[in-house]
Amino acid sequence: MASSANKNINAKLVLLGDVGAGKSSLVLRFVKGQFVEFQESTIGAAFFSQTVAVNDATVKFEIWDTAGQERYHSLAPMYYRGAAAAIIVYDITNQASFDRAKKWVQELQAQGNPNMVMALAGNKADMLDGRAVAPEDAQTYAQENGLFFLETSAKTAANVNEIFYEIAKRLPRLQQTPNPSGMVLVDRPTERANSASCCS
Amino acid sequence: MPSDSNSTSSNYSSGRDDENPNSDPNSKPEPQLEPEPEPEPEPEPNKNPHLIDQSLDALENQLASISMSSRSPTVTFEGEEEDDVESREQPKSMNGSFSEEIEAGGDADSLEVGRHFESDSKAESSGVNGENISFTWLDAPEVDEVERPLSPGSSGYAGEMGSTSGGDEIVDDDEDDSDIRGVENDGVLGSNNQSVSGKRHADEDDASVSWRKRKKHFFILSHSGKPIYSRYGDEYKLAGFSATLQAIISFVENGGDRVNLVRAGKHQVVFLVKGPIYLVCISCTEEPYESLKGQLELLYGQMILILTKSVNRCFEKNPKFDMTSLLGGTDAVFSSLIHSLSWNPATFLHAYSCLPLAYATRQAAASILQDVAGSGVLFALLMCKHKVISLVSAQKASLHPDDILLLSNFIMSSESFRTSESFSPICLPRYNPMAFLYAYVHYFDIDTYVVLLTTSSDAFYHLKDCRIRIEIVLSNSNVLSEVQRSLVDGGMRIEDLLVEPTSRAGAVSSHLGQPRPGAGTPGRTADGSIGIGGPAGLWHFVYRSIYLDQYVSSEFSPPINSLRQQKRLYRAYQRLYASMHEKAIGPHKTQFRRDENYVLLCWVTQDFELFAAFDPLADKALAIKVCNRVCQWVKDVENEIFLLGASPFSW
Ligand SMILES: Nc1nc2c(ncn2[C@@H]2O[C@H](COP(=O)(O)OP(=O)(O)O)[C@@H](O)[C@H]2O)c(=O)[nH]1
Ligand SMILES: [Mg+2]
Repeated sequence: MASSANKNINAKLVLLGDVGAGKSSLVLRFVKGQFVEFQESTIGAAFFSQTVAVNDATVKFEIWDTAGQERYHSLAPMYYRGAAAAIIVYDITNQASFDRAKKWVQELQAQGNPNMVMALAGNKADMLDGRAVAPEDAQTYAQENGLFFLETSAKTAANVNEIFYEIAKRLPRLQQTPNPSGMVLVDRPTERANSASCCS
Repeated sequence: MPSDSNSTSSNYSSGRDDENPNSDPNSKPEPQLEPEPEPEPEPEPNKNPHLIDQSLDALENQLASISMSSRSPTVTFEGEEEDDVESREQPKSMNGSFSEEIEAGGDADSLEVGRHFESDSKAESSGVNGENISFTWLDAPEVDEVERPLSPGSSGYAGEMGSTSGGDEIVDDDEDDSDIRGVENDGVLGSNNQSVSGKRHADEDDASVSWRKRKKHFFILSHSGKPIYSRYGDEYKLAGFSATLQAIISFVENGGDRVNLVRAGKHQVVFLVKGPIYLVCISCTEEPYESLKGQLELLYGQMILILTKSVNRCFEKNPKFDMTSLLGGTDAVFSSLIHSLSWNPATFLHAYSCLPLAYATRQAAASILQDVAGSGVLFALLMCKHKVISLVSAQKASLHPDDILLLSNFIMSSESFRTSESFSPICLPRYNPMAFLYAYVHYFDIDTYVVLLTTSSDAFYHLKDCRIRIEIVLSNSNVLSEVQRSLVDGGMRIEDLLVEPTSRAGAVSSHLGQPRPGAGTPGRTADGSIGIGGPAGLWHFVYRSIYLDQYVSSEFSPPINSLRQQKRLYRAYQRLYASMHEKAIGPHKTQFRRDENYVLLCWVTQDFELFAAFDPLADKALAIKVCNRVCQWVKDVENEIFLLGASPFSW
């Protein structure tokens, strides 16, 4: 959810996508300005925050970098529910990761917040030699599904800040309740959590 | 050593006054280890006459052939429900040659003959057992198949063949240099495992010479024979071998038994069946069957921690379900666990250990954890590497030491937790194997981290707030710097153990109740004890408090220097532990073993278990005296080395 108070907006943002697409690398580039060749697999989900200034407001992103492993799939809603924005990441050198990205988009459309700002990131754009997904295909798909699309490279930093800024600009400004306590307000019953399992 | 060295030295100065418990007038009616009535352990008679010495190569052929026929007694199986007692009531010789039992590498207990299978049909037919399992490559050993062009001799898995036989050629991966960072201060080696990353030797398959020479293999496979995890080599390339293992398990299961152990020459193959999941260890390390089985249990527990036991449902839906993808990215977790089986006594003691800290320091940590535990946190743990600083749980919940081990292994071996705070589903197998809990993990510094566990998937922001409160208290009370200091100072050192209270009375500083030479002196020259160890030839000890579920292990020091020696000592303890636990334990039980490597002394009472290693030439009466002294010492400093008043089982 996004909340505003004196033009300071808190926005929960979730990164989804196949393992190895570069979600963690994108976040680390955006938050810490770093890139490592051998990024370790994420376990569960890691939390980061980063503030950006757009026009007349500051947006504090509360970022969930999810693991993307199959075992956590049924648990993904706990990370994307209530999110104001999502970046669905695929690896331009890997067609399967693009297919996987489409599945995430479907799931978000079915389950997520209808006002969610969704971005499609074709990452590893520096690896043109290995390209497997044409940008036109991704662009078409994005348009059809109401996402905006950028090719990014966590390695070279190309379009990384841009994609977050673009999201910040598109966030609905005056959305519902502020969230002073920082608690996520959810309507789901907690039993769901108790019975959660990896392949339920 | 904790913050307040003044207060601690005064705490323990009185303890030093009654250095010798035998002469201590105040000594409580505590158990004393006496030299005389010594029920020494019974070396089992040479126990495997019915086993022929076979290479693992031959074993493999047997594995293949038993799926086709079943008659001759070449491989023995232990029926699962075999009465353990019976096998242990074998004639016992009362002589003192305990070394034989250790050196012979036998484990009589596991040699009960359950069923016999024929194995002479080495290459008769291509056995196909069940769907999609083909043994062609096993049964036609002379045919080099395309996908195994490097096969040195014949069929798949072989421990020793021709000139490659001989234990010294077998690669014990735990001793790879790349694997071990060095001796840590706390006496447990390499278990932090930042150095163990991912699968090693993923290029290997069961035809690689290097793969065959590995000393200890671990496999996880599904009941349909699909590989799930292999310590070495790529799971998919090992599919053929996995199918072989599955075939033997199915065969025996169908016959109403469960395979627990196959012995082939130097190799033991230990099986553990957990519903649709089979775990297998192939080892020539001569560890007792019970130890290897316990290791497989831990491996299974680690898998449950990642997935919960509800993975079983996937197999109900689809028996041929491929589980490898569910474990994606967790190779490092398993290799780190397997690695710690060699270095971390917690893996066989089923107890946890605490970082030595001043009582007040640990209390400061405990009270803030207690605070947050009141607010919807199920368990709160503050850890330094694999050691507990403090832990607290909500009412009635209890935390098993094995869960602490598996949880800390999981966190420390996953680099991802260090990058930022995280919130991940994990399952504590001993708490509830069916459901996920949610773990908030945050590192305060490179070694120290907090884990807050909750049942609520929505609790992240609350836990984050809790962590901030914890962090404030920890930094206000200097806990984190005390933790760093403790890491530098280390734990109990045998050199600091004084048998006679007066011998080093002049020492100024105090560490864990004992005077020590100036801090930072790498070699201890004080009384020429370097290279000799502690008094009476004491080299090392491990003390496990039964009611606390905690243990303390002395620092390693000369002459137990090398990683190899340390690992060998742990294996010896492990064997001792297994032998002490095979029968109902009386109120007091002792073992005294002497071999060319050590004198090992084990003393089990209702309150504690002590394992001590001495110089092989150590005098027995003196050694016993020193053991009494060690126990006294542990009691003297228990405020610092244990987490008191908070046994995980007694909340
Ligand atoms: N060349 C290149 N490699 C990348 C890029 N982003 C990530 N990687 C690499 O791809 C691998 C997986 O990245 P990671 O961030 O862990 O993916 P995640 O599983 O989606 O979090 C790592 O080895 C990264 O170094 C990129 O933009 N260019
Ligand atoms: Mg990642």
